[in-house]
Amino acid sequence: MSSNNTLMSTVKSEWIKFRTVRASILGVAITFVLTIGIGALITATVRSHYHEMDPLRRITFDPVSTSLGGTLFAQFAVGVIGVLFITSEYSSGSIRTSLAAVPNRTRLALSKLVVLVVSMFVVSEIAVFITFQMGQSIFSGVVPTASLATGSVLRSVLLAGVYLTLLAVLGYALGLILRQSAACISVFTSILLIVPIVLFLLPQSWQTSYAKYEPSALGQAMMSPTPAANSFGAGTASVILLVYVIVVLGVGMTLLQRRDA
Amino acid sequence: MIKIDHLTKRYNDTLAIDDLDFEVKPGVVTGFLGPNGSGKSTTMRIILGLDHPSKGRATINGKNYADIKDPLREVGALLDAKAVHPGRTARNHLKALAVSNQIKTSRVDEVLEFTGISSVANKRVGGFSLGMSQRLGIAGALLGDPGVLLFDEPVNGLDPEGIRWIREFFRSLAGEGRTVFVSSHLMSEMAVSADQIIVIGRGKFITQGSVDDLTKTAQGTVLVRSSQPDQLRDALLAKLAQVRVGNDGIFTVSGLTSDEVGEVAFASGITLFELTPQRASLEEVFMDLTADSLEYAHHDRDAAHE
Repeated sequence: MSSNNTLMSTVKSEWIKFRTVRASILGVAITFVLTIGIGALITATVRSHYHEMDPLRRITFDPVSTSLGGTLFAQFAVGVIGVLFITSEYSSGSIRTSLAAVPNRTRLALSKLVVLVVSMFVVSEIAVFITFQMGQSIFSGVVPTASLATGSVLRSVLLAGVYLTLLAVLGYALGLILRQSAACISVFTSILLIVPIVLFLLPQSWQTSYAKYEPSALGQAMMSPTPAANSFGAGTASVILLVYVIVVLGVGMTLLQRRDA
Repeated sequence: MIKIDHLTKRYNDTLAIDDLDFEVKPGVVTGFLGPNGSGKSTTMRIILGLDHPSKGRATINGKNYADIKDPLREVGALLDAKAVHPGRTARNHLKALAVSNQIKTSRVDEVLEFTGISSVANKRVGGFSLGMSQRLGIAGALLGDPGVLLFDEPVNGLDPEGIRWIREFFRSLAGEGRTVFVSSHLMSEMAVSADQIIVIGRGKFITQGSVDDLTKTAQGTVLVRSSQPDQLRDALLAKLAQVRVGNDGIFTVSGLTSDEVGEVAFASGITLFELTPQRASLEEVFMDLTADSLEYAHHDRDAAHE
């Protein structure tokens, strides 16, 4: 039997583990509710107040990223899914059972990664495409709408799903490093919420040069068909976020390799 | 076969395992005995590749655990019965394990049946009693029909019927030529369930042998009752024996055989009412062997008496 075969069986095993706990199922449900529900709330509110909006803001109004605003809430749900996928193994002690079954730690970590990336990508893309279409139909008639037929719009919606998937992986990577659910969730939340606040307290010139590197700002850039002021283009933003995630994941996998289970 | 080769494990400045070196052979139940905190679980974790040794190594059939392909088919282990995700059902837990080692999933129902937990197979593990969790852990260890089995404190939480079941089960596994390595801090348990015993204390190897060997090497004591206890005590102390004075003037003498005690009494002209040689129980042997290595000395208890 080839090593591919063994990797495949570990992936299958991790898939069974992923879908047979409540946290994953509940997390996915919350991801849908937040993305779609808050998307509906935002788009409906914008529609009813659009006539009051000042003309300058109407010019820069982006129906795409606005309709996808729910992702800013759903990002916490996917992060927690990623965190718990590994920290629940440490809190229950089942990591030892897992490693006894699969002593190749890199293979175990990669198998979990494959399961997480594939499942969260599918979930996130379904959620963002539904949200986008729903948002545009809520806008239609009052607010300018966007169509998936436009290349940059399709890219933005696709990348919104990629953004959520990458944040799930970020949560997972933090989980490998910290091994404790509560600690991980606090750090994850801090990265997304506290870092922008700290940056806000810094001089204006620093804000304009550094705020665009925040994960949530990168997410905004990924979901915008045309780059906003002081922000990266969608492609650059995706690459930067991917680099963040790979670095944290690299640290996590190295620690998994070195530490006692 | 499990081979522990000059194994040392250091956590910061505590030495959890100190140069352990022994073999666990197939065909017999080998007990791994030591007080709590003596390094039994650490040794087992190192055997399974979960902890990295500071020095030395542990091999199974000549291989590092990490180098075994589909290890559940070669080694089955129960380390901590509660180390299962509480939200997953017993069947799904076993199914995930089976799939990861390319074991056919029909085996899941077989081991559930064998360990007697089929009726709760679709219940979440979080609601299991310790005894049920132990059975699930054993089911997991048997999943790949392995030739080497490790159990860390398996009788904890089992009811008497379960304990009897597990003892017979260990014997039958060993009878099939498998290597069975069972840890316990209870000497009495090892005395009935193990053929060979390896004793450790504070991470150090103390002794190894069959249950009979261990009790033979241990010092027996002699119970004596006499007409003149004070004179007898002085006479015995003169022969460098240790004398413990009990109720009703009964002495427990160690350091002399019953014959020697009789000779001493005769030489001093003391009448003996009772002279009983006592073979050390395995429990006493164990206490003797590990007395120096106990993590917590007994002086607290002694102090309370004063």
